[in-house]
Amino acid sequence: MTAEASGAAPSTAALGDRIAGAVLAVLAVAAWWHAQTFVSGFRQPVGPDLFPRLVCVPLGVLALYLMCRPGLNQRWPRGVALLRQAGLLVVLGGYAGFLEPWGFLPATLVCSVLLIRLFDAAWRQALVSGLSLTVILYLLFEYALGIPLPAVPGLGV
Amino acid sequence: MDILAFLLHGFAIALEPQNLFLALIGCAVGTLIGALPGLGPVNGVALLIPLAFNFGLSPTAALILLVSVYYGTMYGGRISSIVLNIPGDEPAMMTTLDGYPMALKGRGGEALGLSAVASFVGATVATIGLTLFAPLLVGFAIRFGPAEYFALFMLAFATIGGVTSGSFTKSFIAAGLGLLLGTVGLDPATGVSRYTFGLYELYDGIDFIAALVGLFAISECLILLEDRRRETATNQELGSAIPGMKSARQCAPTIARGSLIGFVAGVLPGAGASLGSFLSYTLEKRWLGRKGDFGNGDPRGVAAPEAGNNAAAGGALIPMLSLGIPGSGTTAILLALLLSMNITPGPLLFEQQPDMVWGLVAALFIGNIMLLVLNVPLVGLFARVLRAPTWLLMPVVILVAFVGVYSLNNSAFDLYVMLAFGVLGYVLRKLDIPSVPVVLGLLLGGQMEFNLRRAMSISGGDWSILVSSGISIGIYAFAVALMAAGLLFAWWLKREEAGR
Repeated sequence: MTAEASGAAPSTAALGDRIAGAVLAVLAVAAWWHAQTFVSGFRQPVGPDLFPRLVCVPLGVLALYLMCRPGLNQRWPRGVALLRQAGLLVVLGGYAGFLEPWGFLPATLVCSVLLIRLFDAAWRQALVSGLSLTVILYLLFEYALGIPLPAVPGLGV
Repeated sequence: MDILAFLLHGFAIALEPQNLFLALIGCAVGTLIGALPGLGPVNGVALLIPLAFNFGLSPTAALILLVSVYYGTMYGGRISSIVLNIPGDEPAMMTTLDGYPMALKGRGGEALGLSAVASFVGATVATIGLTLFAPLLVGFAIRFGPAEYFALFMLAFATIGGVTSGSFTKSFIAAGLGLLLGTVGLDPATGVSRYTFGLYELYDGIDFIAALVGLFAISECLILLEDRRRETATNQELGSAIPGMKSARQCAPTIARGSLIGFVAGVLPGAGASLGSFLSYTLEKRWLGRKGDFGNGDPRGVAAPEAGNNAAAGGALIPMLSLGIPGSGTTAILLALLLSMNITPGPLLFEQQPDMVWGLVAALFIGNIMLLVLNVPLVGLFARVLRAPTWLLMPVVILVAFVGVYSLNNSAFDLYVMLAFGVLGYVLRKLDIPSVPVVLGLLLGGQMEFNLRRAMSISGGDWSILVSSGISIGIYAFAVALMAAGLLFAWWLKREEAGR
């Protein structure tokens, strides 16, 4: 039903499943191995390492099964779509990084203008809506909800 | 009648001005979120959780707000199904099949009105069911020890996702991944740090809310960036939203059947609203046979799924509140809200926080009436909002998510966690691996481990304690039965689709 809901036809070449299976199998083995470092000072019937290890066993086995017998995947994006998704992540990662050093207002303004551009609006629309969005969000969070945001550093606000 | 006294007390709480106001806001926002294509109930509730925290609401008030949003999205989903032929959310998918043809024939208003009434009846039936059955389940579960709880968690993982996705392998992998992620942080029993790799931000574990917003809302944005939908709004006049007597009489039995089927689907672990609407529609079609004109704008084809998905939404609250085990994605998020407020749902909740439980139940009854009022006369207003352009809508969603998550702990680290989970959620969706079991693992892992370790220290390390009582054996048997039913259902679904 999920395939229908998102509107994309499932493709039969399920290379993605094989890769995911391999990655998860490695993860399960690594997590199992790393669990040996979970040593607590006192003796208990069940230490801190048991539960993660119990989870790793079925996870690893099923991941191997998925690798050998992959199921259906959705179609992966290509070209422009992929670029835009990468763009979204870069903009948002940058926003997370600059929010504190730049302050809320400048960071949000830049981020919202770029986001609106990413979703295909013209520059004019993006600038106008980005600016109003920034101001509305600031007023909403700062005054209506009473959440102190780092507005602009160095100005004492 | 204990229940009646509790319920009356609940109404006293729900009718407090603040709670009443929050229910109204929740209903309106929920309808709006449900109506906007691409923002389903899961996303809507996930987005609003940080805001609920920021309001500084009491747990009862926050729960009333979010559950009103949840019920509201179930109503709202039908609007874009009927007007745009795009389901506002996944449970509203079946409503497009007859709703859009009705709109094309100029009966859009009637479809909207009728589906609102069907939603109302479905949700009311489910809320009555919640009132009656949740205390019964609590009375049973109050005798559970740690071994039985462990069995219950196994039941939840054995069944969630399996019924709807059809691939047990992928659901289990998702659950395992979630459980593993849930162990990140300091072990609460011994203080040993697990999988933190020296990052002190991870000592408290992965923040549920940042993870949820990423998994659902951010991944949705990534999907939307590649998937350009052309909107095909009908230019037909909607017509009157008050359904006529004739179609009301014709649909009454359909609504009754749909509500019951949906309710049962909702209560079962691992099902939820999508299954509720799907089953109601399919079974109703089968029930009517040649007497129906399903697929060509039969009003009953709108009434059945809408009664079904609203009833299922209410039914799904039963296992969440009485056992602490959510039956669907959205109830999982409600569970995250409670856990973040240091409240553990389960049988003890009914004893320790009766105000909250019964206030919530009463708020659901009241919210339902509000929703009916919002959705019949005012439906045109919501239908107009659908014309909001994506380029504005999605950035607003993303920014609200960002600022909301940031303000929880004033931590930029949470934002990176949210982004990472956004990418994870996106990849999982592409792989057709359900993300709800991941959430469930993340949320329930701590409790599951706690109960396992307690059972093991009671028995002194003897594993047989896990299957030593009739109740736990019964729960495992029930899990196996539900898995078998899921396999049968998947087989039936395949046959049904082949025959379509």
